[in-house]
Amino acid sequence: MIAGVAGGLADTLGVRDGYVRAAFVTLLTIWGVGGVLYLILWIVTFDKVEDREIDPVEPTRALGLGLAFIGLLFLMSAIGIWPNSVLVLTAGALSFGTAAITDPSSPGPLAALMNQGVERVSKVRLLIGVLLLIGGIVMFSTALGQVFQFGIVFLAVFLTGLGIFIAFGPWVRRLLTDLSAERGERIRQEERAEVAAHLHDSVLQTLALIQRTDDPQRMAILARHQESELRDWLYGTAPLDGVDLVSTALKRAAAKVEDDFQIPVDVVTVGDHRVDERTRAIVAAATEAMVNAAKHSGVERMSLFCEVEDDSLEVYVTDQGRGFDLASVPADRKGITESIRSRVEKVGGVVDIESEPGEGTEVMLKLSL
Amino acid sequence: MSIKVYLVDDHRLFLSGVKAELDEEFRIVGTAFDVDTAIEEIRGYRPDVVLVDVHMPDGGGIAVVEGVGETNPDVKFLALSVSDQAEDVIAMIRAGARGYVTKTIEPEDLSDAIRRIHAGDAVFSPRLAGFVLDAFAGAIPSDDDPELDQLTSREKDVLRLIARGFAYKQVARKLNISIKTVETHVSSVLRKLQLSNRHELARWASKRRIV
Repeated sequence: MIAGVAGGLADTLGVRDGYVRAAFVTLLTIWGVGGVLYLILWIVTFDKVEDREIDPVEPTRALGLGLAFIGLLFLMSAIGIWPNSVLVLTAGALSFGTAAITDPSSPGPLAALMNQGVERVSKVRLLIGVLLLIGGIVMFSTALGQVFQFGIVFLAVFLTGLGIFIAFGPWVRRLLTDLSAERGERIRQEERAEVAAHLHDSVLQTLALIQRTDDPQRMAILARHQESELRDWLYGTAPLDGVDLVSTALKRAAAKVEDDFQIPVDVVTVGDHRVDERTRAIVAAATEAMVNAAKHSGVERMSLFCEVEDDSLEVYVTDQGRGFDLASVPADRKGITESIRSRVEKVGGVVDIESEPGEGTEVMLKLSL
Repeated sequence: MSIKVYLVDDHRLFLSGVKAELDEEFRIVGTAFDVDTAIEEIRGYRPDVVLVDVHMPDGGGIAVVEGVGETNPDVKFLALSVSDQAEDVIAMIRAGARGYVTKTIEPEDLSDAIRRIHAGDAVFSPRLAGFVLDAFAGAIPSDDDPELDQLTSREKDVLRLIARGFAYKQVARKLNISIKTVETHVSSVLRKLQLSNRHELARWASKRRIV
């Protein structure tokens, strides 16, 4: 726990490290022998930091080591290094008892008692551990009681509580950890299900559609459409329901034109504004301008640029197509440009159309906010 | 002598496609799928122009641009990405890329962009022009150099026309200036973008997310 000496020694001897720590604690009560021993071992093994494979505990070996330890205690007693039998025996009983019932690899004493699957050895160990603990507590309280002559009952209750805490604490903690781990896992699974559902509805469907299409242009449109949708979903740029922005409305309109006419529209927006009655008219007019360009310009792609400044909204629909002579517009086409014009002018906006044969067309829509 | 080009993209299929398209006109001196190889090889091969993807493991295109920029400031970078997230685009330009185009670009436009970058100009796609206009909209002048962070109205005009989908040649004609002047404006916008202080762009980015 401090320098890993006990753990290292336990690995070398093939005993559970709890017992080794208990031995150190017991020896500590004999004029601090345990502490000195710990320091010496620490210095000796200072740079032997390595992970050992833990050998399986052999019962006979553990028994031998235990007897050797008891023999060592007797030897110390015989040659006179012995402070107080009650102190050493109490510390020994408490520390070994704790070591016996707390095992990092078993699910805890209560579970061990209730669970039929737990091997018998650990039940025996548990029994011995509890007996040692009770003995230690009794000895400790008696000794202290003799000193203080009062409060034995109070002390006994306190020490019993402490014993229970030491015995069941690790188990309770493990139970709580398991619970939160389980909850975390459940949340992860729910999220995974949601992602799977979304991908199935969107990406998988589109991939299936692409496989059934022979037209490369159509494929590109499908892929583009899916790309922008996935991007919205991933980065959360999609608007909240009910709150709609001019940029979103224009992108949606452009996507519709792409779908209907198989012509990509490069949408660039700067700044933004809420969709209201007036800006909605601009969006509608821009949509018509895009449809116009898609039908008549003969281009393979077009641009839509929208800039919102503090006091104005400007939208440009630009194509590099065949263009036309404004003075000699055919009647049917004039109708469409007029409908753009009337929409925009109704809400107080301005329309400007620039076009020359062979030079493309640009429709500008401007609205003061 | 043809321009030496190096390609970086973690998407191998895309990489081989671009290589095939550019092979005739340029000398492709090498390709890389990852950031570390790219930095090492670019330092060794010293290409004129590097086409670099934005999203890659281990730091992406920004790591490549910054890594090479430290040792070989003369190597020019053109970012080529599927991403049109404003943050990605602006971050690449600020890292030192001379231009940013999306992967939907036509092959001849890409070749043109590489030549332009090699000649020392900046390359702005319509979308990048839009982002830059957005970034500088409402930017307050910084205390230490009030002139630095503002775009002139002419620069804004140029950016708006690029955003509307016009080529440099058409921009020049619409504004009655020479192509060279358009290129000068675009280069100075790029420089301002790279030098403008981080605080304002961060403010701009957060504003965009709230809207």
